[in-house]
Amino acid sequence: MSFFSPVFAFVFIPFVVIVYNLFPKKLRAAVLLAISLLFFAFVSRWLILYIILSIISIYLSGLGMQAIEKKKKEVLKTVEKDEKKAVKESYKKKKKFVLVMCIIFNVAFLFMFKYFNFFAVNVNLLLEYFKVGRSITIVKHLAPIGISFYTLEALSYVLDIYYGKIEADKNIIRLALYVAFFPQLLEGPIARYQDTAEALYEGKKVTFESFTFGYQKILYGFAKKLIIADRLNIIVKEVFEDFNSYNGISIFISIVAYTIMLYMEFSGTIDIVIGIGEMFGVKVPENFRQPFFAKNVSEFWTRWHISLGLWFKDYIFYPVSLSKTMKNLTGKAKKKLGNHYGPLVSGSVALLAVWLLNGLWHGAGWHYIFFGLYHFFMILMGNIWEPSVAKACEKMGIDRKKKGYRIFQSVKMSILVFIGELFFRAPSLAVAFAMLKRMFNAFSFRVGELFELGMDARDYVVLVFGLIGIFIMGILREKGIDVRENISKKKLVTRWLIYYALILLILIFGAYGQGYVPVDPIYADF
Amino acid sequence: MEELIEILEDLQPGVDYENVDDLVDGRYLDSLTILSLISEIEDAFDVEIPTVEIIPANFNSAAKIWELIERLQEED
Repeated sequence: MSFFSPVFAFVFIPFVVIVYNLFPKKLRAAVLLAISLLFFAFVSRWLILYIILSIISIYLSGLGMQAIEKKKKEVLKTVEKDEKKAVKESYKKKKKFVLVMCIIFNVAFLFMFKYFNFFAVNVNLLLEYFKVGRSITIVKHLAPIGISFYTLEALSYVLDIYYGKIEADKNIIRLALYVAFFPQLLEGPIARYQDTAEALYEGKKVTFESFTFGYQKILYGFAKKLIIADRLNIIVKEVFEDFNSYNGISIFISIVAYTIMLYMEFSGTIDIVIGIGEMFGVKVPENFRQPFFAKNVSEFWTRWHISLGLWFKDYIFYPVSLSKTMKNLTGKAKKKLGNHYGPLVSGSVALLAVWLLNGLWHGAGWHYIFFGLYHFFMILMGNIWEPSVAKACEKMGIDRKKKGYRIFQSVKMSILVFIGELFFRAPSLAVAFAMLKRMFNAFSFRVGELFELGMDARDYVVLVFGLIGIFIMGILREKGIDVRENISKKKLVTRWLIYYALILLILIFGAYGQGYVPVDPIYADF
Repeated sequence: MEELIEILEDLQPGVDYENVDDLVDGRYLDSLTILSLISEIEDAFDVEIPTVEIIPANFNSAAKIWELIERLQEED
């Protein structure tokens, strides 16, 4: 079920809200969980078994780790001071064992559904190369929806218990609802237990105010998807599928169009998730913060798919770079390279791990791995060059805080991101490189060419106005102005006029019907 | 505190460390700089900063970082 179908928006959501409100407060969490699991089963059928197994595994592991911690505290009270260290170590090992088993159990499902075939194809290539007369059988199977999203949520829960950030939940309904809350299943965001679990479980009534406030965000998500993303999809499909028929500028336009389309589709979906959350009184974390206003690629990733970046930062980057081995490495590197570049050594190892995993998380394919490595390289280079750039600017008298320089930085950053997303979208690495090559080798431009990409003048006008609208909203948000709060404070008549205007805009200018192909939920495949 | 500000100045010059209170959220310090900072703090103040303490709330201002150092020294 797509979030952007009329059935979802106008039938399913109101239906869920009515059913949820009909039940007494105490039962609402269970009702929401049942609806979420039904939603899951509706899309993925019997694969629902896997999310249930995941939930049970983290529930038991959480309780197990908590019991070990409790036992440790009891034992510590009874032993002498010089034995305490050994006791702590021994219980830490036990806790770690439970954690590692739970991680292996959950990652094994992920591997089986997402990576097994990629692994098998590449092993088979090696076997063939070495003329070994055997091969691994490729199994075709569908993965449960949102497995990449809910697995990371599930792992964050057990890791947070291991690190002592949160207490294990004794209530399996609360925990299950945190992992399986239906709007988050398709494209995230990857919330933390502390973000949503308690509020989801509370069972707050959906009021007229919370419903309309949430719906406001949902409509904005619809506008991004239907007015902009589905329109840009025409160019993207046209050029990516037959790039050899187009020259450089068209390829460039399609690459830019793809990144904007991805942004509008993904952030539009997240708007819907956040909007539904708001109806139930739950603050689902924001996943985007005006990414194209970032100064460099590193900052871009703190503003784009924020929840994934934070997950990697908390559970991969810092644990790897601050592990004992890495700390020893840092110590040695500092002596040779000084204070700025010394820690960069272990930082880069951790960063490499983060980006390899980030690439792989998006999908099993060499182009995804390259996508990860590309960003690793860009972020690392940005960091290494930073002191020299700062000095050079100072020498040339360039004020890096001035608007002109900031715009230059954002444009440079955007171009680097566009190229990265090309590797992401292209069906293979070879195609991505061929497109880049053709973009430079066949560079020419005719105005008429714009109309050979499948969009007519009306499409371009709607697109330009739509993007200007989104851009203005972005500037306001960047300045800390909350447009939605402001609208909800307006008089009833004004508020409804704005809502109707937005609905009309979507109905009139939405890219649906003949000639348009809606964008598939891109991130739902990851 | 002075020593801490010197370390910060050395890693990322040009920031008003006495007053800025969004060092992480305002992107004055990125992950790699924080890594250098942690390594410097651990050497200078003889503490070990566990991963769980690396949250924006602990690193958003020089005062907050100082609070963290003092707390870790006490816990030791």
